Amino acid sequence: MPVSGVIITCAEGCSAEVSSRISSINGVEVHGILPDGQIVAVVEADTVDGEVELVAGLYEVEGIQAVRLAYHNFEDIAH
Amino acid sequence: MGGLSRRDFLKASAAAAAFAAAGASAAASLRPKDASASEGDIRWGKAPCRFCGTGCGVLIGVRDGRIVATKGDPQAPVNKGLNCIKGYFLSKILYGTDRLTKPLIRKGDTMVEASWDEAMTLIAGKFKESIDKHGPDSVAMYGSGQWTVFEGYAASKLFKGGIGTNNVEPNARLCMASSVTGFMSTFGGDEPMGCFDDLDLGDTFFLWGANMAECHPVLFSRMIDNRLRNPQVKIIDFATRYTRTSQMADQYVKFNPQTDLALLNAIAHVIIRDKLYDEQFIKDHVVFKRGKENIGYGLEDKFKFADEPKLIGFDEYKAFLKPYTPEYVAKLSSVPAKTIVELAHLYADKSRKVNSLWTMGFNQHTRGTWVNNLAYNVHLLTSKICKPGENPMSLTGQPSACGTTREVGTFTHRLPADMVVMNPEHREKAARIWGIDPKKIPAKPTYNATEMFRALDRGDIKVVWIQVTNPFQSLPNLSRYRKGARKGDGRFIVVSDIYPTRSTELADVILPSACWIEKEGMFGNAERRTQHWFKQIDPPGEARNDLWQTIELAKRLGYGSLFPYTYPEKEIWEEYRKFGEGQGKDLAPYESYTKARGLCWPVVNGKETTYRYVEGFDPYVKAGEGIKFYKNKADHYKAVVWARPYEPAPEVPDRHYPFWLCTGRVLEHWHTGTMTGRVPEIMRANPSAVCEMHPVDAGRLGIKDHQKVKITSRRGTIILPVNLNGRGKAEKGNIFVAFFDEGKLINELCLDAYCPISGEPDYKKCAVKIEKA
Repeated sequence: MPVSGVIITCAEGCSAEVSSRISSINGVEVHGILPDGQIVAVVEADTVDGEVELVAGLYEVEGIQAVRLAYHNFEDIAH
Repeated sequence: MGGLSRRDFLKASAAAAAFAAAGASAAASLRPKDASASEGDIRWGKAPCRFCGTGCGVLIGVRDGRIVATKGDPQAPVNKGLNCIKGYFLSKILYGTDRLTKPLIRKGDTMVEASWDEAMTLIAGKFKESIDKHGPDSVAMYGSGQWTVFEGYAASKLFKGGIGTNNVEPNARLCMASSVTGFMSTFGGDEPMGCFDDLDLGDTFFLWGANMAECHPVLFSRMIDNRLRNPQVKIIDFATRYTRTSQMADQYVKFNPQTDLALLNAIAHVIIRDKLYDEQFIKDHVVFKRGKENIGYGLEDKFKFADEPKLIGFDEYKAFLKPYTPEYVAKLSSVPAKTIVELAHLYADKSRKVNSLWTMGFNQHTRGTWVNNLAYNVHLLTSKICKPGENPMSLTGQPSACGTTREVGTFTHRLPADMVVMNPEHREKAARIWGIDPKKIPAKPTYNATEMFRALDRGDIKVVWIQVTNPFQSLPNLSRYRKGARKGDGRFIVVSDIYPTRSTELADVILPSACWIEKEGMFGNAERRTQHWFKQIDPPGEARNDLWQTIELAKRLGYGSLFPYTYPEKEIWEEYRKFGEGQGKDLAPYESYTKARGLCWPVVNGKETTYRYVEGFDPYVKAGEGIKFYKNKADHYKAVVWARPYEPAPEVPDRHYPFWLCTGRVLEHWHTGTMTGRVPEIMRANPSAVCEMHPVDAGRLGIKDHQKVKITSRRGTIILPVNLNGRGKAEKGNIFVAFFDEGKLINELCLDAYCPISGEPDYKKCAVKIEKA
């Protein structure tokens, strides 16, 4: 089951609202909001496909300006 | 680690890496050091990303010979530990199920497996036969900005220094040749003065024809992060299509296609009229020139052009700009005169650090060189150049468009380090380093990329070897060149790639190549940063790297002595860097790159140069000189402000073909999709091309969202579903289609007109009609 660590950049003043909104998404775990408003989250799904769908979905959440990938592990899935 | 599963640790690793990249410590209960300890069995190695010209640093985790994890490289100055969404696909591009693993030889309509020896014997035989019968200019190599430095260097050395033909071209001719000619004609030297740090340090960013949010997401994020820290930051998006970039910009300025030429002249007009220019800077660092006008569009085979620049005075330049009033240009461009005036003042605002950034909107342009010149004009007039935080910069689309094609010089006219085949001293220097007779290198360039495939169609070129690129999907006016490739009569096409493509289907021999970390490599990104990686996994089956393939041909043609290497990558690097020494193009010894996260050239005494032409940063500028454009000796080390007029596009919408067609890229796919098309999740997210259209235009034609339409140009027809409300939105009178879809060859509709100076085709403008399908 692949897992990734992402950083989410939000529009000014939107971080708390975005955080609570995305926390309810199955497969997205918010690990913290940084002082500059960026959100650190862990994304996991059964497949990379699922992860990408989750991340692509984040782009559509109001207040999110960018999602960047810091870490991706997919060791237990066959290529 | 007691009580915690490996999954918990992996999640902690993921969070810790994200916190670290954001410059914060993890607040989670799982400590990051425990998380890293759990990864002990994964071997990590560095590499630049395989995709675009940003050159993000990646750490690749390998276990049992396979990639199992990737990280943004926290030590990489380009991306500081963060990758864009394409980071998810980096490993998967290597593991597509239809990876080419054996050489294939055409037998009638089928491709039959062969040994490397059989394939190379056949290829060498065809090269020899063609050279004997028709001369060296009947064979060609067509590579790309995805070649490693070593691969491009070997190809250029074999063809120019061995076979004795200048028939070497890269696909970079299709994407940033106008940037090269822009730099060369303005500054006398290629590539930017600034670096990506400008994105953090600047406060005013003019984007021209650049959808950075989708095509350079990491760089765009740096700019957005800057804006979050500094409320003064303003992003202005000049574009002909509303994109995700426009959505996030502070101001979206839509303009009519081709009128960027007029707009930049109008901005310069206002800067002069309102005396916003820096007179002292102009006196010290600028000369003015005017070249030929009404220069044509390269539509005829064997089109030739030579500019005739003439020095003019500042007053003549002012007179040239007179007609470009904001009111006149407002009519032409549809940008209100008031906006033009405001933005000219913003460009010249002394309290602001101003940057211009552009990509294909400028470069893929029948006046691509001119529009690059005009952008530099504005920066030179206002002295917003060569300072940390304020510079013009052309972004590149391929990982080594700069490092390989521009710096190594794999164009027909170029040699390494900005040298050209037309110059006898340059040929002599190249011949000295290559250990050959200078007469071997022909003094005349042959064909730019478009002309190369026209020559294949005519039969002037018989044998072409295509490496790391997909021209039979990416060329404009594609049908002509696809048909030309299979005309027979001695034509022979070799394609080296990692997957079957629209180009391999036309090949006589297909060679399976190693990709990215399956071989050792170096790439050079858009900020002059050269990055190295080691081979980290084996290629599949019998796939071999393109460097080996080229050297193998050399040996079989009798040019093996040009490649007397025991460790080719290292020895090629040391040989290659002799070209740039003392030329402002200095590169460091091979070993330096194996450790560093890239170094920006010139690298002198082990120190990289982040800002060129400026005292205190660039070792070529002495104390007291301030700024010196030292590559432009011919103009006494000054930069050139060019008087370049607005001229219309060669094909404009009319009664019969009333829409502009613009082609380009989307976030999920890279170029012709040969790699990203192998990733099922990308294909699900963005499976096929669509026709972006304005709802008003659609309404007028009775077309509903998602309905299929027939798009026709004078060259071809294609049927696509319409998208009226996607991420990108066409302006009225315009449509946009991405070119990644190998099932829908939109480039069949494009016109093969090109900039006469750069030879780069314009994929952004031709006329089409739309009908319900």
